[in-house]
Amino acid sequence: MARNKWVQLTILAVIIAAAVFTVSSNLSAGSSAPQVMDEAVNFSLYGLDGALHELDDYIGKPIIINFWGTFCPPCVREMPLIQSKYEEYADSGLVVLGINLDESTVTINHFTQGMNLTFPILLDKNVVRKQYGVYEYPTTFFIDEKGVIRQKIVGEMNEGSLPSHDIDLAIRRLLYG
Amino acid sequence: MLKNTKCECGHQNPVGTVLCEACGLPVHPEDVQSDKPLEMRYEGAARRSQKSNPNILDRVWNFFSSVKVAVYLIIITLICSIIGTLLPQVNVIPSNDPASYYATEYGWIGELYYALGLADTFGTWWYKGLVLMIAASLIICSLDRIIPLYRALSKQQAVKHETFLRRQKVLYTGDVANAEAWLGEMEAAAKGRRYRVTREGNALLAEKNRFSRWGPYINHIGLIILLAALLTRGIPGWYMEQGIALKEGQTGPINGTSYYLENIQFTEVKEVGPHISGQELQFAFETEAVLYRCIDNCHNPLSEPILEEVKQHTIKPNEPLVHEGYSIYQIDYSFEPQLTAITFDIGAEGRSLGEIKIELADPAFFYPVGDLTFELSGYYPDLTNVNGEPATKSRQPNNPAFIFDVQRADGVEESYFVVPLEQFQTRLKGSGDAEVLQFEIADMDASRYSSYMLVRVERALPYILAGALIFLFGVVLGLYWQHRRIWVRIDGDQLIVAAHTNKNWYGIREELAKLLRKTGIETDAKSLDNNGVTKK
Repeated sequence: MARNKWVQLTILAVIIAAAVFTVSSNLSAGSSAPQVMDEAVNFSLYGLDGALHELDDYIGKPIIINFWGTFCPPCVREMPLIQSKYEEYADSGLVVLGINLDESTVTINHFTQGMNLTFPILLDKNVVRKQYGVYEYPTTFFIDEKGVIRQKIVGEMNEGSLPSHDIDLAIRRLLYG
Repeated sequence: MLKNTKCECGHQNPVGTVLCEACGLPVHPEDVQSDKPLEMRYEGAARRSQKSNPNILDRVWNFFSSVKVAVYLIIITLICSIIGTLLPQVNVIPSNDPASYYATEYGWIGELYYALGLADTFGTWWYKGLVLMIAASLIICSLDRIIPLYRALSKQQAVKHETFLRRQKVLYTGDVANAEAWLGEMEAAAKGRRYRVTREGNALLAEKNRFSRWGPYINHIGLIILLAALLTRGIPGWYMEQGIALKEGQTGPINGTSYYLENIQFTEVKEVGPHISGQELQFAFETEAVLYRCIDNCHNPLSEPILEEVKQHTIKPNEPLVHEGYSIYQIDYSFEPQLTAITFDIGAEGRSLGEIKIELADPAFFYPVGDLTFELSGYYPDLTNVNGEPATKSRQPNNPAFIFDVQRADGVEESYFVVPLEQFQTRLKGSGDAEVLQFEIADMDASRYSSYMLVRVERALPYILAGALIFLFGVVLGLYWQHRRIWVRIDGDQLIVAAHTNKNWYGIREELAKLLRKTGIETDAKSLDNNGVTKK
């Protein structure tokens, strides 16, 4: 009966392996978009500067990811504010990534030059947008040093009026906890 | 205490045996005294799950080898599946925010449904766990039974104990004058009905269709293969399903792969059919498509990908473009006329300087014309006015507007703002005396239809089909044939004939009656019934 014991163990091992495989592929499917307190999903996109930017390269610093487009008036309205905050908190190591929503390079270039934007503008063609579950514009994610999403603001950000959309409040919460 | 499992015939049986492996006498004394028909399951052999003092491994084995447990698992899975069909699941709801969708659409029931994870019932770990347990049960139930059954059937003997024969469900007892002669007739008769006959002294065993016993085990193997094939869907590259939308003339990437697809032309085939009302019927819609593989500059919006043509095919709803496991189906389309390119003729004081063609999806920056260099420095696909400033309403080129920076050979720089569809153009910057350049529309490219296609990879399909076919084969094997055995034992002039089958007792009684008649014994099928065939 010793032979049977090995048969039993082998079958048990196969079933456990199948279970582990099923559960782990379920978890890593990543089908749902990351929410607040989830880890930010890594991506790599080409920037207007021609370089390939990977989110993982920026993890370790406080990061703001803003999904925007020139066709979206609130995105356009909040851009100067984002740029000024970027300059203000540059010393704290704040990283701002502006992910454009599938527009032509000419359009984006014209806009960013007109606004004098100095943070990296990344060109997304509906890939990262879907990964992050962004369906309303603008949407801004605030990511801490550990790569965890701390806040998600949907809609135009401001400073000093609506606290839920106050970019300065969000940045300070991100930097100082 | 050690249990004595040695039979009176001299054979040593393993612990847990119900009927002696050699002669068929019941091992337990209480069973010997009773006159109920014998428990013939699995030939009375010892099964793994029946042994005493189970350790942890045995307990797990015993749990999964129980058919009762398997039935419970199936019923629980059935109920969970039913619950998963009560409300539409997350993959078919028309919303990107499931949490709020269920709450607003179905009220508190929807909220509860979503909170319990039932909105994605078939993707949850516990549902998959149930299916996995059914798979484990399939494997262990089968193994627990087939191994002893196979061994028992392989080494069965012709000589059986009298008690074994008398307690079978089909029995004939009588006298016979000449044992040898009668056995010869019986053997011939049985062989005539395709039995395989073995003889040992005054005992005879006639057996046929043993292969049908393996039917249920073969169909379980088929089910296991089917479930394992479904599990392979989790292997990267084995399953993918995504949509791709292309305008006519557009080439777009298939996300997650290095392939690009081009929609050369879309055709809608409509005819006035033979219908009485003369109604216009649609016969087809199809996309003439080309599949490319990207060699360089892939997924880089800043540069043109270098593509190599792989295959060309006219994709119709049931005629996909198939290439290396990828199938691209035509699933939908819409009539959405849209400009795709505008060609300007540049004129100065009546004479044409040249042409520039602008691709409206993602225009290039520079356009040389003669000794002039045109730079497209601004582009608004859908021009609108926001606080007096030009802006774009959308990403569709419904009303394109361009800002051209022109550099002339003599170094003069000018800027023009051109809105072709509004027939408006103006020079924004430039020296007064240089002639104003005129932008005339020379040509416009348009796409009439947007074609929606589905890209699908399903590598598990052949294995699923294999599993299903094996399942069917096993069912046929077990359903259309029955395993029949007839034992004969002659002591002196006393004849005992007993028979056993796994199904269709009526049939074997009829057949045995026929065989006995052939040997000269007149009997009818009903009298062979030994108190067991009719349900107690």
